[in-house]
Amino acid sequence: MSDTFIISIVTFVYFAAAFIYLISFVFSKKPVAVMALALTVFGITAQTAAFIIRWIHSYQLGIGHIPLANFYESIVFFSWSIIFIYLVMGRRYKNNLIGALANLFAFIMLAYASLSGDINSQIQPLIPALQSNWLTSHVISCFLAYACFAISFGTSVLYLTKQRFKGNPVDILPEPKFLDEVTYKMISIGFVLLTLGIITGAAWADHAWGRYWGWDPKETWSLITWLIYAAFLHARLVRGWKGTKMSLISIFGFVAVIFTYLGVNYVLSGLHSYL
Amino acid sequence: MYHSWWFTLLLILLSVNIIACTAKRIPRIIKLTLPEKNKFDDRIFGSSQINKTIQCHKSLPDLEQEITPLLKTLVSLPIQVRKDDKSYFFSEKGRYSRMGFIFIHFSILLILGGGLIGAIRGFDGQMNIVEGKIADTIFLYGGKGAKKLGFQVRCDDFSIDFYKTGQPKEYRSDLTILENGKPITSKAIRVNHPLLYKGFKICQATYGIAGTANFQIVVKNEKTGKETALTLNLMEKTSLPDSKSLFAIGRFIPDHQNRGPAVLGVLIEPGKAHDMLWLFKDHNQQKRDLSFILKGFDTRYYTGIQVSRSPGVHIVWAGCILIMAGFMLSLFFIHTKVWLQISERKDGCEIKIAASVNRNRKDFEEKLEKLVIRLQAE
Repeated sequence: MSDTFIISIVTFVYFAAAFIYLISFVFSKKPVAVMALALTVFGITAQTAAFIIRWIHSYQLGIGHIPLANFYESIVFFSWSIIFIYLVMGRRYKNNLIGALANLFAFIMLAYASLSGDINSQIQPLIPALQSNWLTSHVISCFLAYACFAISFGTSVLYLTKQRFKGNPVDILPEPKFLDEVTYKMISIGFVLLTLGIITGAAWADHAWGRYWGWDPKETWSLITWLIYAAFLHARLVRGWKGTKMSLISIFGFVAVIFTYLGVNYVLSGLHSYL
Repeated sequence: MYHSWWFTLLLILLSVNIIACTAKRIPRIIKLTLPEKNKFDDRIFGSSQINKTIQCHKSLPDLEQEITPLLKTLVSLPIQVRKDDKSYFFSEKGRYSRMGFIFIHFSILLILGGGLIGAIRGFDGQMNIVEGKIADTIFLYGGKGAKKLGFQVRCDDFSIDFYKTGQPKEYRSDLTILENGKPITSKAIRVNHPLLYKGFKICQATYGIAGTANFQIVVKNEKTGKETALTLNLMEKTSLPDSKSLFAIGRFIPDHQNRGPAVLGVLIEPGKAHDMLWLFKDHNQQKRDLSFILKGFDTRYYTGIQVSRSPGVHIVWAGCILIMAGFMLSLFFIHTKVWLQISERKDGCEIKIAASVNRNRKDFEEKLEKLVIRLQAE
């Protein structure tokens, strides 16, 4: 079975899991939540299998490398990271809405990867700049960070919705205080992972390009993202900010994440144009 | 922009800001990190972050027995003393948690400081060396002139390797470092595999074609059927066998009319106008009684290597390690202190609990509540 075929199945598994999580949240049904969790675990297991199959397949093609090297592989790994972060950390909050959020994001990413015409899902050989042991640690830490920021973005949007609107569908949303707490926790973890991602990137750049920091657009934008989340943490820890203002910074931060991830490649050109 | 004076000034202002903001918190952090003085002080009860007083129907020795393992799971193995018929416990963990704050902010200063040293005393530039040649001067980036390295670099060979798809697989330069003309060390550098020498980092940056040489041409005399192999350089005349004519290569074009590399052959016969003919690789071309085939040629590459020196880089790496250590301390350690005082009452004991945590208070309170329930259970 080809890895891309498995990924297309996993896409629908995540969609189904998101839907069932939503149902279990709305009707507070525990058995339904167990089913959603089972689907999520099944999804990530299949996705991990697809990852390994693709990895093995690349060796069979004689261009063996970990499948974290082009846009398709990165977006697939982004979706994996979100589910992984949810299962490892998000589940502790015992709220099915967060499960629905994580699966929804993972579904959107995989759907985009499969359906968008300009994403090449073929295994490509590694260009010389990417042939480094730093590739794995740099990409994994960056995308786990992005995954945390994606979940915090989701909870921030829910927070603002809860604050802004009243009435039937909005009232069942979790307490604002809870959403605020999840946003903060996710950003704390994401910030540490992003720092690690930038450091591993700097170490790699020093090796490949002879300098650890060169104000390449991707580097500059990752620093901007880092500064926004640093501001978030300082506002919380020093000033004690909570609620709406924090949600807005979190959303703003995620916009910077997306720009670092996509915008830099599509809008600005630089050394990271291969992603 | 990033190398301008005002950008450097902004970074220095940021450093001053970090120093000013963190300095005022440091004395308190150090005080809280030092060992607790009031381990068995009555005043702590009722005046801590978390305070509780509970009653239970158990004897003092029983409670003492029960509390030690419970505190060990919740916090750490407690210290116990007896004073005036009362039993005191003190248990603490994660004392260095707050040091994370100092590590993180100090590491930012280290990274900025290391960067500043690099910006002032470091440099980077590039030099192009043709295969077989020696170079000793780099051209600094940003048009900041040339700089002699103090040693020489010889490019022994450059090679480029492609995947079947046509994408580049490897750029490789075999370099030799020379001091006063004497070879010191040799290394093949590739992208991601630089050469370090005397604090200089030498990286593969680019390459290009410096020229072509040794054109191999086979000439066949159609009358006699005799073939002759020639090896020629550009503009080099040679006489053809069994003929008064001379032959030379006037031009080389890497891709002529999208038909691949070609050379312009010139056939010179005394007293006649020159004949010109384009020779493509492995294609027969006839002129008069002679036919020519271009069999091959050598490409001479130059390698573009980047040479850089960043004196502050070790300070930057120290800062990076320190910031991660700081995050680990802050994330995985919670400074937790628990004080307990047990005094005997008529039908059991009274337990006073005082506790403080520097993070995740809610989680801790839930766990403490469980401990209380365990103590009160019969």
